[in-house]
Amino acid sequence: MSQSKQQMYRLNTGGRIDRSHTLSFTFNGERYQGHPGDTLASALLANGVDIVNRSFKYSRPRGIVAAGAEEPNAIVQLGSTEAAQVPNVRATQQALYDGLTASSTNGWPNVQRDLMGLIGKLSGQFMPPGFYYKTFMAPASMWLTYEKYIRMAAGLGCSPMEVDPDSYDHLHQHCDVLVVGAGAAGLAAALAAARSGARVIVADEQEEMGGSLLDSRETLDGKPADQWVARVLAELAGCENVTLLSRTTANGYHDHNFVTLHERRTEHLGETAPVVHGHRQVRSRMHRVRVGQVILTTGAHERPLVYAGNDVPGNLLAGAVSTYIRRYGVAPGRKLVLSTSNDYGYRAALDWNEAGCEVVAVVDAREAPAGDWVDATRAQGIKIITGSAVIEAKGSNRVTAARVAKIDIEAFKVSGPVQELACDTIASSGGYSPVIHLASHTGARPTWRDDILGFVPGLVKGVQACGGANGCYALCDVLAEGVEAGIKAAAAMGHAAQTVSLPSAEQLQQGPAVALFQVPHEKPTLRGPKQLVDLQNDVTAAGIELATREGFESIEHIKRYTAMGFGTDQGKLGNINGMAIAARCLGRSIPEVGTTVFRPNYTPVTFGAIVGRHCRDLFDPERYTALHQWHVERGAEFEDVGQWKRPWYYPQKVNGKAETMHEAVARECLAVREKVGILDASTLGKIDIQGPDAREFLARIYTNKWEKLAVGKCRYGLMCKDDGMVTDDGVTSCLAENHFLMTTTTGGAAAILEWLELWHQTEWPELDVYFSSVTDHWATMTITGPEARKLLAEISDIDLDRDSFKFMDWRSGKVGGVPARVFRISFTGELTFEINVQANYAMHVWQTLFKHGEKYGLTPYGTETMHVLRAEKGFIIVGQETDGSVTPEDLGMQWAIGYDKPYSWIGKRALIRSDTKRENRKQLVGLRPKDPKVVLEEGAQIVLDPKHAIPMPMVGHVTSSYYSPVLDSGFALAVVKGGHQKLGETVYLPMADGQTHEAEIVSTIFYDPKGERQNV
Amino acid sequence: MSNAATFDSRTDTAIPVESPLAYSYRRSGAPQAGSPSWLQLRERAMLGHLILRGGAIVLDEAVRDVLGISLPGQPQALVQDASGERSIQWLSPDEWLVIVPGGEEFPLETKLREHLGDAHFAISDVSGGQTLLELSGEAARELLMKTVIYDVHPSNFPVGKGVTTVFAKATTILRRPSEERWELVVRRSFADYCYRWLLDAAAEYGVNVQQ
Repeated sequence: MSQSKQQMYRLNTGGRIDRSHTLSFTFNGERYQGHPGDTLASALLANGVDIVNRSFKYSRPRGIVAAGAEEPNAIVQLGSTEAAQVPNVRATQQALYDGLTASSTNGWPNVQRDLMGLIGKLSGQFMPPGFYYKTFMAPASMWLTYEKYIRMAAGLGCSPMEVDPDSYDHLHQHCDVLVVGAGAAGLAAALAAARSGARVIVADEQEEMGGSLLDSRETLDGKPADQWVARVLAELAGCENVTLLSRTTANGYHDHNFVTLHERRTEHLGETAPVVHGHRQVRSRMHRVRVGQVILTTGAHERPLVYAGNDVPGNLLAGAVSTYIRRYGVAPGRKLVLSTSNDYGYRAALDWNEAGCEVVAVVDAREAPAGDWVDATRAQGIKIITGSAVIEAKGSNRVTAARVAKIDIEAFKVSGPVQELACDTIASSGGYSPVIHLASHTGARPTWRDDILGFVPGLVKGVQACGGANGCYALCDVLAEGVEAGIKAAAAMGHAAQTVSLPSAEQLQQGPAVALFQVPHEKPTLRGPKQLVDLQNDVTAAGIELATREGFESIEHIKRYTAMGFGTDQGKLGNINGMAIAARCLGRSIPEVGTTVFRPNYTPVTFGAIVGRHCRDLFDPERYTALHQWHVERGAEFEDVGQWKRPWYYPQKVNGKAETMHEAVARECLAVREKVGILDASTLGKIDIQGPDAREFLARIYTNKWEKLAVGKCRYGLMCKDDGMVTDDGVTSCLAENHFLMTTTTGGAAAILEWLELWHQTEWPELDVYFSSVTDHWATMTITGPEARKLLAEISDIDLDRDSFKFMDWRSGKVGGVPARVFRISFTGELTFEINVQANYAMHVWQTLFKHGEKYGLTPYGTETMHVLRAEKGFIIVGQETDGSVTPEDLGMQWAIGYDKPYSWIGKRALIRSDTKRENRKQLVGLRPKDPKVVLEEGAQIVLDPKHAIPMPMVGHVTSSYYSPVLDSGFALAVVKGGHQKLGETVYLPMADGQTHEAEIVSTIFYDPKGERQNV
Repeated sequence: MSNAATFDSRTDTAIPVESPLAYSYRRSGAPQAGSPSWLQLRERAMLGHLILRGGAIVLDEAVRDVLGISLPGQPQALVQDASGERSIQWLSPDEWLVIVPGGEEFPLETKLREHLGDAHFAISDVSGGQTLLELSGEAARELLMKTVIYDVHPSNFPVGKGVTTVFAKATTILRRPSEERWELVVRRSFADYCYRWLLDAAAEYGVNVQQ
């Protein structure tokens, strides 16, 4: 076993890890060991793995920088199998489990010996911001080629190519108070809110709740802070009104206090979710939370200093160094140089020293630092170099030395001689940036505060920020702010406050910090070694300076030009430094430059959690009729009509071969015309209309007349919107004097019911009428064809005599022993009975029809045949012949308009406007192709003169076109300008392939023009 | 009389009926998690469902006399008779859902029509168009949280409440007749989608489907 596999950087004591258990894991093909309680990052550091990735653009070696969500480099791909691949995981957020397999997302052929790095090195200085835009944009047609190689070289992880074995879901939550972040402020706020009785959700993105208290050197009530954390968590866990969600990131803060929380339920346990009692658990869950009051206790991110070579592995955040030592029992090096602008950074030196490692020096940018931690550092005999900073880190694959010099911050220059301190680790602290990302999602602009050298969140109604997120860092103040916020939020939701006694925190003296962002170097920024601002997107200080020189002055433009804060990073470490650099270059203050907008998601969210259960078979509802199983068993092909699955056609096996759609449809059409066919028409919308004014209501809603429709009769009705354009049609039957049954198109059912309610409730409340949807209550079976009567007579007690049960009549009786309403209406032009029974009986009646129908050649047909048969009769389909710009008159349906009705009706005014009366409107006609073998394309444009120069004037288009088996010819319906006056004329249809079809304008009725067949 | 057509859609003969979930049982089965199960799902098929529309005062008098229970006095309320077999649920300011044992709906409609006489109202039989699913067990509320957007916390959803809400990408009527039970009224055509959704969402707990 090589030395690196022995956790050589693991400390013997300390941390929240369980040294009694060992976990093994694989990173980039090498096996390592760690302990429960480790993150992948802490385990890698324990094993001395310096290089965890190659950078995105320059392919520079990169190591772990941070210990949390802000980590820009250690972004890994997880998964030992193809199906288990997860890209974009921050090693600092991934709990270690036994068998974890991870690899770097960048680096080819590998991160240690990266060939792209060579290119990066050679061309690095030639790849300024905008490089891709400038270099690869011309010729535009080549971009796709360039992009492929650029992307391969860059590498942003890969998505799995196999089906994910895990399940994901959503949980709709509602609470009075949502606390985001369970550090000191969050726990105090949660406690205060919880004790008031408010419904509280506490979300924390880490493995353990407690935030910085888990690794703080400060005490509460004189005891380690984590003891207070444990006590508070125990109380909260015991509250019925509190939901504690650890490993849960508030990834987006949306309008109206709607917050999405991404909970990683099993990611810490293994590659796939475990099976408990035989049931596979849900891997990731999105909580969709409607919140009364939001409390943001998201803490602060430490800001690194920007100095040359600050991206060489071994450069870490000062706070991260402390976290690794105190929480994970890992010292990520042997010899430390700390560069700081404030007192907080000193804790890293103290922790390092107390862990038994060497602190070479603390380099403080302030001339005369003073404060309790500074004193403690001096007391431990650690060297402090004042008025200075690390101006450059030396080393390529790991830091080997720090170059330290006096600096003049005001003049932005190195003001003294440079000394080189040998070390393997450089920690830096430029102060804290409150984590304002979530507040930014609401659109509220943050405010700069000079006293804390950071932006604090802008706040919309119903949200508070406290603790680090509000720029408050002293522990006693943080706790007090938390309690106050908790009480205020609960009170706003009507829950009275209870007292919360705060633990006593140490009162620490601290000296003021100095505003230091970019550290000057001996060379000008543009010519010096790289000073990285955004490590994830490879944005340098020089890049930002160049952008300002090229005329980009708005921070939003600088961001887009340089890619600073892009993508999954969202500027957690780099943005404030970048803004400060832009401000320096532009000669403005930071608040003048302003911030860019942080966007969701805070950290990457797996697509599974976004999609939840709305995928695969459950992607969209499938609506079935009561006869669906029969259709499935009969081998029907289905057509989607809205959300309905309707049988499209029923291919049969002929000589062992399945019919084509064309063959099946031809067979089904002839069966209807010659014998009898059956259609499942249950999907048609059905609305039960009752009330003394039902008749008048119908006459106002429909274009045609309803005054004289007698009980027992049916009538076709046409509905317009108030613009006079056809919107729906269907047959409405008079069931009783005050009772009608309206049918609508399948797709229009829900919208028409709303339409009726809208007009009734808002315009005509004086009409006494009620509507109820009965679509699903009835199953509708249409038997149609010359043999329909004989078939029905066998199983029905209804008098089917042609003179007593006429066309457009309905009767009730029994069919197959089941109470039924039978309607003599026809959409095929043949003798038709539409049998309606309560849907629970449908299968029995359908099967009974088939039992008796065989001798009559009863043939099931689908929507395609229905379309052909109705088109042969010139019956329109709303949405096919109409497109929202077609009036009843355009359709040649003047007979369905009652201009002389005693009251106005919807569409009437529009239909008497000059434009709707215009003679050259597109009007519905039939088209008979000159070559009967031709089936015109639906949508094909119609011209009068095919020799006309392009662009030809287009006079219409084909709306429906089929082959008619009974005519043995293609035929079509079309809209043509002034078409009603053009019967017998020839039109032309130039096609994309260069052919031009010729067709004659004919009547829309191609079959049985006198309508004799449906009246037999 | 209201001059509306009534129609007894049921028949006494031994004619086979199929509930809206008949196809789903054949296709997706009826999982049995065994015990302990945190979740029970039961379809209460073939009940009588009527939609009542009209003015609250006149309808209230009629249902008191005919059904022995009053119309819910408040929006989003559910009223049941002592046996729990007959219920009236508020759906909208002039709309209620009445659920009674299967076969009672037509006699009930007839009696209500007689009682209501010339008043303006509407009664529509929708028994074939929807079915009632009953959820119980420890995980029932969490399963609902996965499924409906409405807040099902006991503080917001006490016993005796009923709402119309979003069910995944469909809609449902959700009601709470007792401490342990939730009821979902789903439309026939969406029933298979709802059933498959519930089975899928319940998979992590294990579910017992009682047919």
